[in-house]
Amino acid sequence: MKLLALVVFCLAAQAQTVTFARQIAPLLYQHCASCHRPGQAAPFPLLTYEDARRHATQIARVTAQRYMPPWLPVPGYGDFAGPGRLSAAQIALFAEWLKDGTPLGDPAQLPRPPDFHGGWQLGPPDLVLQMRQPYHLTAQPGDVFRNFVLPVNLTATKYIRAMELETGNARVVHHANVIVDPSRLLRKRDGEDGQPGFPGMEVDTEVTGEFEPESHFLFWKPGTQVQETPDDMAWKLEPGSDLIVNLHMQPSGKPETIQAAVGLYFAKQPPTRFPMLLQLEHDGAIDIPPGAPRFTVTDRLKLPIAVEVLAVYPHAHYLGKRIEAWAELAGGKRLPLLRIDNWDINWQAVYTYRKPVALPAGTTLAMQVIYDNSAGNPRNPHTPPVRVRGGDRSTDEMGHVWFQVLPAGGATDYDPRLILQQAIMRRRIEKYPADFEAHFNLGAALQALGKPEEAIPFLSDAVRLEPANATARNNLAVSLAAASRIDDAARELHQALALDPGYQNARYNLARILGAQGDSAGELKELLLYLDAAPNDALAQDLAGRTLASLGRLAESIPHFRKAAELEPGVAGFEINLGAALAKSGDLKEAVAAFENALRADPANETARDNLARTRAMMDGRR
Amino acid sequence: MKACLAAMLFAATLLCAAPRPLVLIFTRTDCPISNRYAPEVKRLYAAYSNRVDFRLVYVEPGLTADRMERHQTEFGLAVPAVLDTDRKYTRMAGATITPEAAVFVDGELIYRGRIDDRNASYGIARAQPLHRDLDEVLAAVAAGKIPSPRFTRAIGCAIEPLK
Repeated sequence: MKLLALVVFCLAAQAQTVTFARQIAPLLYQHCASCHRPGQAAPFPLLTYEDARRHATQIARVTAQRYMPPWLPVPGYGDFAGPGRLSAAQIALFAEWLKDGTPLGDPAQLPRPPDFHGGWQLGPPDLVLQMRQPYHLTAQPGDVFRNFVLPVNLTATKYIRAMELETGNARVVHHANVIVDPSRLLRKRDGEDGQPGFPGMEVDTEVTGEFEPESHFLFWKPGTQVQETPDDMAWKLEPGSDLIVNLHMQPSGKPETIQAAVGLYFAKQPPTRFPMLLQLEHDGAIDIPPGAPRFTVTDRLKLPIAVEVLAVYPHAHYLGKRIEAWAELAGGKRLPLLRIDNWDINWQAVYTYRKPVALPAGTTLAMQVIYDNSAGNPRNPHTPPVRVRGGDRSTDEMGHVWFQVLPAGGATDYDPRLILQQAIMRRRIEKYPADFEAHFNLGAALQALGKPEEAIPFLSDAVRLEPANATARNNLAVSLAAASRIDDAARELHQALALDPGYQNARYNLARILGAQGDSAGELKELLLYLDAAPNDALAQDLAGRTLASLGRLAESIPHFRKAAELEPGVAGFEINLGAALAKSGDLKEAVAAFENALRADPANETARDNLARTRAMMDGRR
Repeated sequence: MKACLAAMLFAATLLCAAPRPLVLIFTRTDCPISNRYAPEVKRLYAAYSNRVDFRLVYVEPGLTADRMERHQTEFGLAVPAVLDTDRKYTRMAGATITPEAAVFVDGELIYRGRIDDRNASYGIARAQPLHRDLDEVLAAVAAGKIPSPRFTRAIGCAIEPLK
């Protein structure tokens, strides 16, 4: 009996031994191997028993401290896709394995290693944009934040469903943000210090007249699965834009070169669903006294429409300690969306909710960021601590929680993002009463929603805040014209053109206003100037044709109508105008051809049919 | 002292000179934390190698001399180096981490620990170190002083046991 008891005891002990094959390999494959494999960001691979054994002490140590695998969100505050962080029981397995002498166990129990393939995760991209020259990163310690300009060599608008980054040097590139710069203004800074790119932790693109809100987090982090957006939610990339790749690099101890490339994957068709990024922040309230261990910044935004929250991206610099975001539902219920207790800029990431979080209209999104500006915070960039304010340098602070949301509900006759934009900008004006962008964007949103009377005060304020901003004056003019204040609109447009004579949108608008004022000659002059710069604008060519025709200059009108019809074949209206001009000037045969083209484009078009019949009759009459 | 006296008998004063202080810097090729210290190690070597002997001690089991030399070339570490295949140096210093430094004067261990306090913990690095511990010790030693023994906690990669 004694012997039997001993055998049983031994078997039980055996069963509890942690082995590589049974417990450790599955954990490494799921949580570590995406980075810890050859050619990736991590300093050594963790794919084989030998790899793991050679680092067993280190693995036990860094998992116990939760330094590895890096995962910032606290469980229970948002349900995110991805491997997440290790449980306490999983961490204990690494310690046990080390204590047990790192046994391999039964090789038959080994799981299949994950199937990683080199190169682009999604296969060859449709478009690859690479840094023209490599950047040389010094060996000296200290993080480097730098921006590289990649011109987009496209000839037509594309819709992007996925973006990958190939850094060319995975060990030193910690993460990247890609910014679309349609204005191409940032390229002026390229090479300003003699090296490719330009320094800076954050970049801002210029405000333009178009409502094209940011819709996707163009964020890249080594070792993560590339996020593919469904085709119907792809993001737009216009020819002539620049991509700005903002890289966070950490020197390795030896000189390194980086020549990153962005791979873009096109969607098959334009999107039909349009997400939008909502930002909670109050950087203007960041003014942290030296030594303050717990400085708090908050922000809130009441949602005017129902949305689904798809993902969240928190951001602070080195003093940020704790970041929390939540939703306050009607009735006071609080829904946690994110909590990070030990913020670490080095491991910032976009977190995608496993299932979109549905929030009804009237919900308030809220966030709180706590900063530690004491000497006891080792990440404090200043010794001794100094007063720190909001700003975009790495020694300034920020506190942002971005949400990617998708407006819920069925089709509307307006873009629901404009309603969100209104709410965001109204909140922004509360926070920053003298903010130009907030006034401009709110005015532009109201204008786009067909509320010019409501837009005018905000656009007027934008002009007051930035009198030399031609875009603001142009937008104000559009609202004034829509509110039938034609003379005021003309005044703003003249001023916009005085500020920027090359501002073609304003010139076109001025032409329209002069036309509305009955000044056809003035209209024509501005239109022809506009067409010198933008000869491929079919609408403007057609308008020039009509203006010339109204002035009785039929022969001159025809080339403009013809150009419009060539530029956009299949637009019945252009063909009808061309046909009418031709018929009036006596070229009946060509006129018939034009009317026939119009009917081919739009068989139900009665004007085209009438004109065709009349012209044929005239031809018969001639015979 | 006996060895020195014996040397004196042969009138070789050079052999008789007191042994120079020695600093061991423990490292491994795949430890990003010790690799990032390459510029600082180079700086210390340039500053003190005329008074102090330096040895980079590579602690990875199975590392070849070729791989070690390649690492030194890549990181510009023109510092005398040894492969600690039998962990002789590691045991002598009681080192457990890379990077970790051990300073010996007259065969006595007078410092063991971090190079500086740039790293407060894993993944928590200061913009600038508050204390350049090894630099301070080497400065004292180079000036002929013998500081009282001091030990600090290094942050880095574990020196894994040989198996």
